[in-house]
Amino acid sequence: MVSQSLRDCRRALIWWTIGISAFLSVYVNVYNTVKQNPQVYGQVALDKFPGPLKDLMGQSLENFSSGVGFLQGAVYQLFVPFLFAACAMGLANRAVAGPEENGTLELLVTLPVARARLVLQRFAAMALGLLAVAAVTFVLTWLFAEVNEMGIPFGNILAAHLGVYLLGLFLGTVTLAAGAATGRRGVAMAVMGVWAVAGYMVITIGRNVEAIAWLKWVSPFHYYAEGRPLYEGLPVGDYLVLAGATAVLALTAVLSFDRRDVGV
Amino acid sequence: MTAVVQAEGLTKYYGRRRGLEDLTLDIQPGEVFGYLGPNGAGKTTTIRLLLDVIRPTRGLVRVLGADSRDPAVRGRIGYLPGELALEGRERARDYLEFLGRIRGGVPASRLDALAERLDADLNVPMGKLSKGNKQKVGLIQAFMHEPEFLILDEPTGGLDPLVQQEFLAMVREVRASGRTVLMSSHVLAEVEHVSDRVGIVRAGRLVAVENVAALREKAVRRVELHFDAPVPKEAFEGLAGVRDLRVEGAGVSCTIDGRPDALIKAAARFTVVHLVSAEPDLEEIFLTYYSEEDRHHGVAEPA
Ligand SMILES: Nc1ncnc2c1ncn2[C@@H]1O[C@H](COP(=O)(O)OP(=O)(O)O)[C@@H](O)[C@H]1O
Ligand SMILES: [Mg+2]
Repeated sequence: MVSQSLRDCRRALIWWTIGISAFLSVYVNVYNTVKQNPQVYGQVALDKFPGPLKDLMGQSLENFSSGVGFLQGAVYQLFVPFLFAACAMGLANRAVAGPEENGTLELLVTLPVARARLVLQRFAAMALGLLAVAAVTFVLTWLFAEVNEMGIPFGNILAAHLGVYLLGLFLGTVTLAAGAATGRRGVAMAVMGVWAVAGYMVITIGRNVEAIAWLKWVSPFHYYAEGRPLYEGLPVGDYLVLAGATAVLALTAVLSFDRRDVGV
Repeated sequence: MTAVVQAEGLTKYYGRRRGLEDLTLDIQPGEVFGYLGPNGAGKTTTIRLLLDVIRPTRGLVRVLGADSRDPAVRGRIGYLPGELALEGRERARDYLEFLGRIRGGVPASRLDALAERLDADLNVPMGKLSKGNKQKVGLIQAFMHEPEFLILDEPTGGLDPLVQQEFLAMVREVRASGRTVLMSSHVLAEVEHVSDRVGIVRAGRLVAVENVAALREKAVRRVELHFDAPVPKEAFEGLAGVRDLRVEGAGVSCTIDGRPDALIKAAARFTVVHLVSAEPDLEEIFLTYYSEEDRHHGVAEPA
C-alpha cells in the first residue's frame, strides 16, 4: 500500500524535487555575486525590503552578505519552507480527500484493510515522499554552500533542513487530517493554508504586537525558526514539539476517518 | 447455515435525506439475489452499508456471520461499486495486481483468464479506459479472488450484449460452486435469468421479496392474438386475470395478470394465426407493487 501510494505520486515528487532544486541552484549561487560586493548587496537588500516587509523576511536581511545570513534569508526564511508546504499539501491530498473526491477511495476502503491502517499507510507514504524531496534538496544546498564557501557547518545545514522537513510534514499532516475528517480537498487546503500563512505572520510581522503574541505558541513557524538552527544547530525541543504535534494530528486523522461515512 | 446477509431494521439517513428505511432481509448461502429498484431507491445505500463504507443510522447488519465492521470479512467479499472510478496513468493490470496483493495474492493466470473471458485489455492506463472497459476491470477485481460473497452494484451497465452474456455465465458458475451473489439493477431483464430471488426496493423501502418464478406469475404481460376470422367480444369477457381487453375484428389484445391459462383456453376455440406475448417489464411489475403498497398504506408517505 505504501509503495503503491508512492508510485502514484512519483511524478509529483520528481517535479517538486526538480522545482525546489532549480530554485536552490539559482538563488544560492547568486551568493557569489553578493559576496564580492557586500556593501552594495547588503544595502540593496535592506533598501529593497523596507518597513514591515523587512519584518516579513525576519531578521536575516541584516547580515545578508554573510554566508549564513544569505542562506537563511534566501532559502530557509520564506521560500523553501513554503515550497515544501505546498509540496506536502499536494502529497497529503492524495492520501484521502483526493481519492475520495474522484471516487477511487471506495474500492480501497472495501479491501480487507482496517481504515486506521489505510490512513497510517498513506501518512507513511507522504512522510517518505517528503523525505525523498528533503534529502535531495539537502544534498544540493550543502553542495552549493560548500562551492560558494559560505562557511556553514554541515551539521547546521542538516539541522535547518531537518526543520524544513518537519515543518512540511506537520503542514502536510494538517492537510491530511482535515482531508480525512471532511473528505474535501478544498477544506483541507484552506485549513492548512490559513494555519501556515497566519502562523508565519504571527512570528514575523506580528511578533511585536502584544495582543497576538501568544499565538506564536500555535504557529509551526515558531518551532521551525526560533531556535535558529542554521546558526546554533539542532533545536531539539522545538523539533520534538513539531514532531509530537504531527503525531497527534496523524492520530486525529485516523480517528476521524475511522468513524465517518466515506464518499457522501 | 448462517445467512450471508442478515439485516434487521437497517436504516440510513443522509442528514435528513432518507437513503434506506427499516430494511429487514436475509440472503441465504448459495443463492443469487437480485436487488431491484429505480434510481434513487436505496440500492447503493444498502450495498455500502453491507461493506461498511457508510454506517447505519439505526439497525443491525451482519455479513457472512460477522460484524460488517470487521475488516477480515471484506476479504471474503468481492465488490463492484455502482459508480466505479479508476484513474491515473497506472496500467489496469498493475492496479489489479496491487489489489490482488492486498487480498493475499491472486495468480496471474486467473487474471489472464478473466481478462480473456471478458475481452478486456489490461495494458491500457486506467484513466484512458472506456466506460465498458472500466466495468470489465471492475468485474475482474470483484471475481479474481474467488470470494464467498459477490456484491455487484449495477454490474451490466456499459457492457455490450456479448460480454453481458459472459458475465451472466460467470455468475451462474459462482452459484454452481455454492457461493452467494447479490446484484442490483434497475432492469428486471438483467437479473431475472440468473436470480433465484429478487427484492424490490422503492423510495428506501423493501416492498417485496419474491422468487423469480413467482414474480413472473404475478407479472403483468401484454398479449395480442390474431385469428383467421373476426371473433365475438363476449368470448373473452370476464376471463380470470384478463384486463384492458380490446377486440377489433380478428384481433384481440389485453394484459394478463398472472397465469395466461384462462385466455389460452378461451382462444383455443378459434383458429389462432399469430400470438405475441411481450416480456413483462419491470415498470409494470413496479406499478402493480406500487398500487398494492398504496392500498396498504393509504396515501404515499412523505419523501
Ligand atoms: N451522499 C448522499 N447524500 C445525500 N443523499 C444521498 C446520498 N447518497 C444517496 N442519497 C439519497 O439516498 C437515496 C437512495 O440513493 P441510492 O442508494 O444511491 O439509490 P440507488 O442506488 O437505488 O439508485 C436517494 O434519494 C439519494 O438521493
Ligand atoms: Mg445506485
